[in-house]
Amino acid sequence: MNISTNWLADYVEHDLSPDALADVLTMLGLEVESVETHGRDLTGVVVGHVLDTRPHPNADRLTLCDVDLGGESPVQIVCGAPNVAAGQKVPVATVGTTLMLPSRKTGELEPVTLSKAKLRGEESSGMICAEDELGLGTDHDGIMVLDADAPVGQPFAQYLAERGRTTSDSVLDIAITPNRPDAVSHLGVARDVAAVVDTLLTRPEIEIPQPGGEAAEMVPVEIEAPEVCHRFVGMIVRGVTVGESPDWLKVRLEAIGLRPRNNVVDITNYVMMESGQPLHAYDLDKVAGPRFVVREATPEEKLTTLDDKERTLPTGTVVVADADGASGIAGVMGGADSEISESTTTVFIEGAYWDPVTIRKTAKALGMQTDASYRFERGVDTEGQPWAVARAAHLTAELGGGEIVPGLIDARPVVPEPREVTLRPSRLTRILGTEIPVDEVKRLLTAIGFEIGDASVDNPDAGLNVVVPTFRPDIEREIDAIEEVARLWGFDRVPTPEATAVPYAPPHPDRAAQLRESVRSHLVGLGFRELYTNSLIPAPVAEAFADAELVGVEMESVETVNAISREMNALRPSLLPGLLGAMSYNQNRDAGALRFFEFGHVYGRADDPANAIEGYHEHTSLILGMSGPAQMSGGDQNERGTDFFDLKGVVEHLLRSLGIASIEEVAGLEANERTAYRLFLDYNGQRLGVIARTSDALGDTSDLQEPVYFAELDWDTLSALLTSQPPTRYTPISRAPAVDRDLAVIVGKTAPVGPLLSAIREAGGDLLQSARVFDLYEGDRIEADKKSIAFALRFGADKTLTDKVIDKRVRAIVDRLGRDHGAQLRQ
Amino acid sequence: MDTMTLRDEIDALSQEIEAADLPSADEIEAFRIRTLGRKSGAITALFGRITEVEPSERGKTGQALNALKQQAEARIELAQAALTSSDGAERTDLDLTLPGRVPAPVEPGSLHPLTQTLEEIKGIFRHFGFDVAEGPEIEDDWHNFTALNFPPEHPARDMQDTLFVEPPPPDGRGIVMRTHTSPAQIRIMEQQAPPIRVIVPGRVYRNEAISYKSYCLFHQIEGLVVDEHATFADLKEMLHVFAQALFGDDVKMRFRPSFFPFTEPSAEVDIWWADETIEGGGRWMEILGCGMVDPNVLEAVDIDPERYTGYAWGMGVERMAMLKYGVDDIRLFYENDTRFLKQF
Repeated sequence: MNISTNWLADYVEHDLSPDALADVLTMLGLEVESVETHGRDLTGVVVGHVLDTRPHPNADRLTLCDVDLGGESPVQIVCGAPNVAAGQKVPVATVGTTLMLPSRKTGELEPVTLSKAKLRGEESSGMICAEDELGLGTDHDGIMVLDADAPVGQPFAQYLAERGRTTSDSVLDIAITPNRPDAVSHLGVARDVAAVVDTLLTRPEIEIPQPGGEAAEMVPVEIEAPEVCHRFVGMIVRGVTVGESPDWLKVRLEAIGLRPRNNVVDITNYVMMESGQPLHAYDLDKVAGPRFVVREATPEEKLTTLDDKERTLPTGTVVVADADGASGIAGVMGGADSEISESTTTVFIEGAYWDPVTIRKTAKALGMQTDASYRFERGVDTEGQPWAVARAAHLTAELGGGEIVPGLIDARPVVPEPREVTLRPSRLTRILGTEIPVDEVKRLLTAIGFEIGDASVDNPDAGLNVVVPTFRPDIEREIDAIEEVARLWGFDRVPTPEATAVPYAPPHPDRAAQLRESVRSHLVGLGFRELYTNSLIPAPVAEAFADAELVGVEMESVETVNAISREMNALRPSLLPGLLGAMSYNQNRDAGALRFFEFGHVYGRADDPANAIEGYHEHTSLILGMSGPAQMSGGDQNERGTDFFDLKGVVEHLLRSLGIASIEEVAGLEANERTAYRLFLDYNGQRLGVIARTSDALGDTSDLQEPVYFAELDWDTLSALLTSQPPTRYTPISRAPAVDRDLAVIVGKTAPVGPLLSAIREAGGDLLQSARVFDLYEGDRIEADKKSIAFALRFGADKTLTDKVIDKRVRAIVDRLGRDHGAQLRQ
Repeated sequence: MDTMTLRDEIDALSQEIEAADLPSADEIEAFRIRTLGRKSGAITALFGRITEVEPSERGKTGQALNALKQQAEARIELAQAALTSSDGAERTDLDLTLPGRVPAPVEPGSLHPLTQTLEEIKGIFRHFGFDVAEGPEIEDDWHNFTALNFPPEHPARDMQDTLFVEPPPPDGRGIVMRTHTSPAQIRIMEQQAPPIRVIVPGRVYRNEAISYKSYCLFHQIEGLVVDEHATFADLKEMLHVFAQALFGDDVKMRFRPSFFPFTEPSAEVDIWWADETIEGGGRWMEILGCGMVDPNVLEAVDIDPERYTGYAWGMGVERMAMLKYGVDDIRLFYENDTRFLKQF
C-alpha cells in the first residue's frame, strides 16, 4: 500500500529522511518496494525582505532590489516582476539553488542552478520567485508576496509547511505481508515507526458518542447474520453540502493514488487510509425505512454496485439491506441506489467488522477485490469502528457544513474476548539463540500496543502474560509474539554463533544423484547440450504424446484447471514435445548439428499405487535427441548426416558405462503418426525406453527441417535398477591369454542381427567374454535373398583354454544359431 | 493433338513426379531415365512436341515444360540427399538391432546454466553434510498448503498463484502443481525422525503471466534442519557461510522480517550488490527466504515442537543464475537457443 510521508508525520514525530524511513520500515518487516518523491525540492529558497527598490539604470523593465536574507548585509537582486516593492516579504532562491525552469528553446522544465550574475551590468545575487518558478502554481504575473510576519531567512519550505502547504511529499510503496492486518493504514505504519524511534503515537482525539441517542432511534439496525457481522457501527450527519474536497484532502488522496470524488466519499477513504477501518457512506434519504438489516442474500438476488454494474449475488453473500432490498455487499462494495450525490444532505456513515473468511469468499466469488475487502479479509481492529465512524462524522460536519445527529448506532452481536498469550523468555532465547532482557521484551511489546498482564509481574519465570491488542488478530500463539519481539529488536542484532553444532546425521552417499551426474558428463563429452523445456504444453499435444510407446506407461494426459493460456493447459506426458520444440527452434536458425538431452518429470493420469498422489503417475524421464550432420567434412572425412545408429551407439555407450549389458531389443518398423520406426529397450522384462526416428508427419506438424532421432528413457526405472545392483567387487585378472575366433553365418536377408548376438552370448556361456559383429555381406558370392554376418568372438577363462574346449563351445553356438535362427555356417 | 492435351499431360506428369517413391539408388536412376532420359524420357518427349502448339502459346508451354524439368531434377536431388544418410527416409527395411556407432562430438556439449547453478548450491550444502531429497511436482493440498500452515481461506494462499490440476473442494481434491519445494519437507518429516538435515531441489509452478522477469515455472532449492537446539542464530550462521561460498568471503548481507506461513519468525535475506553505475554504489538484492519452522508445521508431522526446533530456507535457482551470469530475461533459460546454451 502507499504511505505518504507527510501524512505519516501527523501521527509520529521523527527526523528520518524518506530513504532512511524506508530502510527502517523494511527492516521492521514492512518492505518498502519504492520511494517516489512528488513536488519540488525547495532547498536554498528562503524568505527575503525587500528593503529598497530602484530602477535598473540600463533596462526599463528591471528593478534593482536590496533584499535582506537574514545574513550580515542585504544583497542586490535584479527583478523583472512589475509587482515588486519595498517592504515586501518574498521567496528568494539564493545563489547555488537549483530550480526547475522552462527552457528558452523548448519550454520544457529543466534544472537551472543559480549563480551570481550580472544582468545588463548590474550584479544579481539570487532570484525573487513567482509561484510557477517554485512549482507551487501556474501564476507568472508577478512574484509571490508572503505574509508580512514571515521570519526573514526562514527556509521557504518551512514557511509553507507552517501554513499547511506541502511542497513535496514522498510516497512509500509498502508490500504488506498477510500477517500484518494492522499495517494497512497510516496509523498502523506510524505505530511501528514510533516503536523504533521510541516516541509516542499520536492518534487524533475524537469525541465518540455513547451508543444510542437520536441517531439510533432514527435508523434501527438488525443483524440477522451475526456469524458474519460481528459489529455494525453508524453515525448520521445532516445538513451536509456535498461538494469538492478542500485541497489538503485532495492532495493526500492523490498522493497515495486515490482519485478524489466528493467531500463525503473522500472522507470515508481518508479515514480508511488513516485507520485501516473501511467505511461506507449512504445517502440516508435514499435508504428505505430508514433502517438496515444485515442478512444473507436471497437466491439470485441482484444489486447494482457503486461501479454501476448489476451483479447477481453468489450464495453466501451477506448484504446490508434497507426496507426495500439490498443496498450494499457487506465488506466489498456499496450499492448505487444510496450512493452519495450532489443532492445528498443526510449522510449515514457505516463502519463494520465482517468475518474475514466470508469476505474473502465473497470477493473471490464476485471477482472483485476492493480496498475494503482487502482489509476486511485480513481482519480489521475489532474495537476500531466507533473511532473511525466518529472521525469521519466530525470531518463530514466540518468540511460539508453539516451537523452531527447525536448518538451512535452500535449493533454488536459478537464481542470477542481479549486474547492473551504466554511468552516464556526461555522459549524466546531457545528460538532466537540469543537472550533479550525481559525488560526490553516488555518495552518492545508495549510500544506496539501489547499489554503485559498483571500475573507476570510477580512471577516472570512462568512467562509473560501478554494481552494482544485488538488490531493484531494474527497474534494467536507464543511464537507470534516471539516474532514481534524479534523483528522490533532487529534480526541483524541476533549474533551469529562462533560455532554451530551440526545435528548428528550420517551423510548418505546419493547414488542416484551420482548416476545422473555421470550420465550428464558422458553426454556433454559426446557433444550433447542440456535443455530445460516447459512442462506445460497444449492439451492436444499432451493427448497425442501420452502413449506407452514413448513413456513405457499406460496413461492419459493431465490438463490443468486454471491454465495460463491454451498453449500451456496440460502437463507433458513425455519430454519429446519439448525436445522437438528446441530442435525446430534451432533448425530454423540454421544451427547445424544438434545434440540435446534433458532430464525432467513427465506426468499422466494412471492407476499407479507407487505414485505419491493417487490417480496420477509421475516419473523422471531422460531424453536424447540428434539431428543434422553427425560428422562434418574436413581432413580425411566427408560430411555425413545423423542416422539411427548414431543415437543407438550413444545409448548403448551410456548404458554400458552405467554397467548395463544384455538389453533386449524389440524393433517396430511400421510408421505411425509419431515415429517412422522405433526400437524398444527392455531389461529383464522391464521397459527402459525407446530409440526412434520422428515420422515425416510429426516433422511437418513440429516444423522440423530434418528428421529428429530421439531416445526417451525411464530414468527412475533405470536408476532404481542401477542403485539396487550389488556394490562393485574386484575379480582377479586372468593370467591366461584370451583366444579370438571369427564366425560367419548365412541367414535370410531380412533377419535381424540382434537376436543372433543374444543367442551367441547365451550359447557361449561364461567362457565367451565378448561377441560383436564385424562384417555384413550381401552380393554375388552368396544367394540373392541371403546375407552373411561375421562375428568376432573372444573366449577366456582363468586357465589356458585348449582348442578342443573352444571348438566345442563354437560348435554349440553354431548349433544354436542353426536350430533357433536357421543360420548356416558360411564355408 | 491440341494444346489442352499437351498441358494436361504436363500436369499429369507433374503429379506423378511429386508422388514418386524413390527409396533406393536404383529407383532414382530408373526415375531419371523415365523422365529426363535423352531417348525415352517423358519430359524430353514433350519438349519434342512443342511444335504441336499454336505459335502464340509456345512461350507459355515452354515455360511449363522447363518448370516440369526443374521439378524432376529437384525430386532426384532430394531423393539422393535422403539416401546419403543411410536411413534418411521413413525406411522400413532397416535392421534396427544392428549395433550402433558412437559419433565423435561435432561441437562441445554443455550443461544448462540452471544445472550448473543448482549443482554449485547443492555442492556447498553437501559440504555441510546435507542429504538431497526430491518430491513429486503434482501435489495434494495437504502437503502443499495445509500441513505447511496455510489455513484454508487464508489470504496467505493468495501469495502464490496456484496452478490447479483438480479444483479445490467441493469440486475436486485440490490437487496442484506444487507452488514451492516445501511440500517435500513435509514428506521427509512424515518419514524420518529428527535430527533432519536435508536440501530439496526441484521444479515449482506459478500461475503467472510470462514476462522477462517471471515464468510459469521455476526451480527452487530449499533446506531444512530439525534438531533439539536449532536456533535463528544458527540459521543466520548457516546462510552467511553459504553466501560467502557463493558470492565471496566479504559478502554483505541483511536479514529483514518477512512472512511465510510455514516459518516464524520469517526473514528475507538480501545481499549487497555493488554497482558503481547506480546511486549509492549498489543495492540490496533479495536472494532467499528463511525462518524458524512454525510449530504448527512440526505438529502436522507429529514432531514435538517443545522438544525440537528447526530452520528452513528456500531460494530460486533462476534468480541465482541470473545474478551469477548477468542474464536479464528469465525466458532465455527455457528457449534453448544454442547460441545461449553454448555460453555456459
